[in-house]
Amino acid sequence: MHGNPALRFIRANATLIALVVLTLALALADPTFSTARNLSNVARQVTVVGIIGVGMTMVILIAGIDLSVGSVVGVAAVVVTLLMQYGLAAWIAGPVTLAVVGGAIGLWNGFWIAHYRIPPFIITLGMLTIGRGAALSLSNGSSIPVADRSFAFLGSGHIPPLPTLALLAIAALAGLYVLATRWRGVRKKGVPHLERDLPGILAAAAGLLLAAYVFGTSDGLPVPVAIFVVIAAVAIFVLGHTRFGRRLYALGGNEEAARLSGINVYATKIVVHVTVSLLSALSGILLASRLNGASPNLGSMFELDAIAAVVIGGTSLAGGSGTIGGTIIGALIIGVLNNGMSLLGISSFYQLIIKGLIISLAVWFDVLQKKNWKA
Amino acid sequence: MSDVVLKMEHIVKEFPGVRALDDVHFEARAGEVLALMGENGAGKSTLMKVLGGVWPYPTYQGDIFIHGERRQFRNPRDAMDAGIAVIHQELNLLAELSVAENIFLDNQPLNRFGAIDWRKLNDDAAALLAELGLIDVRPTDKVKHIAVGKQQMVEIAKALSKRARILILDEPTSALSDKEVTELFRVIGKLRQDGVCLCYISHKMEEIAQIADRIVVLRDGRTIGEPIAIPDITLEQIIARMVGRELTEMYPASSRQRGEKILEVRNLGVDHPSLPGARKIADVSFSACRGEILGLCGLMGSGRTTLASVIFGALPHATHGEVLVEGKKTDIRSPADAIASGIALLTEDRKALGLFLDQPITFNTTISSLQTISSPPIGFIDKSREYTLTEHYIGQLGVKASSADALVGTLSGGNQQKILLARWLNAGPKIFILDEPTRGIDIGAKVEIHKLLDRLAGQGVAIVIISSELDELLGMSDRILVMKEGRIVSEFTKANASREAVMEWAAGARRVEK
Repeated sequence: MHGNPALRFIRANATLIALVVLTLALALADPTFSTARNLSNVARQVTVVGIIGVGMTMVILIAGIDLSVGSVVGVAAVVVTLLMQYGLAAWIAGPVTLAVVGGAIGLWNGFWIAHYRIPPFIITLGMLTIGRGAALSLSNGSSIPVADRSFAFLGSGHIPPLPTLALLAIAALAGLYVLATRWRGVRKKGVPHLERDLPGILAAAAGLLLAAYVFGTSDGLPVPVAIFVVIAAVAIFVLGHTRFGRRLYALGGNEEAARLSGINVYATKIVVHVTVSLLSALSGILLASRLNGASPNLGSMFELDAIAAVVIGGTSLAGGSGTIGGTIIGALIIGVLNNGMSLLGISSFYQLIIKGLIISLAVWFDVLQKKNWKA
Repeated sequence: MSDVVLKMEHIVKEFPGVRALDDVHFEARAGEVLALMGENGAGKSTLMKVLGGVWPYPTYQGDIFIHGERRQFRNPRDAMDAGIAVIHQELNLLAELSVAENIFLDNQPLNRFGAIDWRKLNDDAAALLAELGLIDVRPTDKVKHIAVGKQQMVEIAKALSKRARILILDEPTSALSDKEVTELFRVIGKLRQDGVCLCYISHKMEEIAQIADRIVVLRDGRTIGEPIAIPDITLEQIIARMVGRELTEMYPASSRQRGEKILEVRNLGVDHPSLPGARKIADVSFSACRGEILGLCGLMGSGRTTLASVIFGALPHATHGEVLVEGKKTDIRSPADAIASGIALLTEDRKALGLFLDQPITFNTTISSLQTISSPPIGFIDKSREYTLTEHYIGQLGVKASSADALVGTLSGGNQQKILLARWLNAGPKIFILDEPTRGIDIGAKVEIHKLLDRLAGQGVAIVIISSELDELLGMSDRILVMKEGRIVSEFTKANASREAVMEWAAGARRVEK
């Protein structure tokens, strides 16, 4: 790496900077973009890819992949709406769907991968097809409406502005507390982490202020966004600060070494695959709630957006390195881009091309980074 | 001198924060074996990468002269065209291709249709193999089916096919049996006669004495003195040049007390994974005591590593017999079980089987004993405690690293090995098995590791060392077990063990009478 600290800073935080630049550019290009209502919409749209992306990050961290997430979204949406048609209450249908669809598919994928060492790409590709087929046959190929009005709260409800602001204030205080304990540790040990921490601190602060503006001046915090934030926070904590998180990084970095270090590779793989399927099923339920119904094609191609978010966020497809924070930024870039391009009236055909180019660019940049580190 | 074929002058190569090569200069002549020695991290590999065009001009400073002509290699191809071939420690062969295909990998002879001329390819390969005196390897054999020693010969044949006149061998014997080493030395001798210039990188003093004409020592990226002819320098002087000080003792003088029996292995056997009915190891029984260092000796393929893996629960295939720890029968099915029973295994191949190279020292140190830095039920990791703990080991083992946050991939081999030792020390084993603990490690680090093992044994740990270096086993062990073809064939105590006696059993010159 080169000596210039400014250049180094840009390189280390390229995706974050790209997101900021993209957002500012769109705000200047189209005034509708920066309205609270539009940004609130962007946030809600991002949650689906974001929630799946959290799980996908974990799978890719252990050098795996899950192509079946989109189909799980479809199956979960169909199953949850069907269950409610059979008369189950929303609060029962949701958890049952999570367990039956998410749990079962995750166990299936995880079992083949951990027990028979089938490449994840293949087994989840199979599940992609099976899942879609199941969604189509369960629904007979047609959309299923939801009659239960309480169900809509999950996907379309809001936490009103005032409680939202209170929550944001609590989050800010919690952040400051974490920072304070960390800095005390730094002073004691003399471990300089400022350069590494600063972008995160700035991003979090800016994010909180932006959230206060967006959710405080509109209808409030959308419920799916709140769910996503909680999931992301838990995942960041688990990956960065727990034994389980360590095992994921070890497993992805060097599976054989991980096994010989005493890590239960089998169990870890199964837990990860169940987690990603559960999160995908949750996304499916949230989507069905927002749409007040399910169509069997719901979630198709979501796997690609989720993988794109993870990769743009800097997680290595070879496993062993990556962060949830990066994936969130990746998901935001995709969300902002989709929204902005639609606002600017770019045809959806070109949108696909631009998205593809950005994914390629992100990976190229990542490869460049790694090469510099090795040299 | 007219026969100087390779001359390096004022070579400087810098990495961020490190000067890996600092004014290196030496000459090598046609028809000689020049030994390049130095501790790990002394700059040998970097030097070879500069010479092989891996670090292209102008990422280094200084001049390289080939046959008196100044050359600047911009890529490995340039170096190859100048007649330089590097044979790396890890062989660069494609296992699924045939010997001949590997030899002529990027310059296959073509027929008049522009397709590969298979007959000529195989004939040319056969001619090269014959030239090297390799009669029992067919050009059509798949590389994965021939022994490591032969694979190395194929690498040499590949170099010769490109008309290489300067051959660099990086630790060529580290994976070879004694017989294969003899074979390699015969070929080296022949190449020397043919006027090839050979640069031979090795840690093994005996080999250098046996094969090299002159020796040049690298330390901290500098050449120490001029190349000197082997008869004019003593072993002690070479070591002094390498470490910058005289080493008084390679092996600690031990005054340990042997305690009660802690590990007992009864009739252990492992089925051969591909041959039904056959065993990779069979009827292995032995025991180890607290405070004892047990040496496990045997040639490559004698079953030493398999034995260690079985005890550690790392092998998936069927096992027979039982393992007792502290007199109690165990049911070890995974490394996790073994660690829980107080057994640790330092694996042979630290990069493939041990380290997480992209992770910091802290991560690598604590991965096998996360319970020491975290608390149930969610397993929250106390990073500040982890950092302190890691710094403690860095200090205790004398690891050279910028901080506990340094990525393990950036450390030298000896320091990496120390990190693996730290990992297992932190797991607090009662039985510590080490598979080739000092392979590919410089002498300074080696002595430190020996002392550490002696100290550990003194604290009541039972230590089992597997090593291909007989001197190490003889120097360190209280008892030596000799393995051959999956069985323990004899046992020596420190008093009655000798190089010759142990080798006789290991090589099969003597057999158990039935």
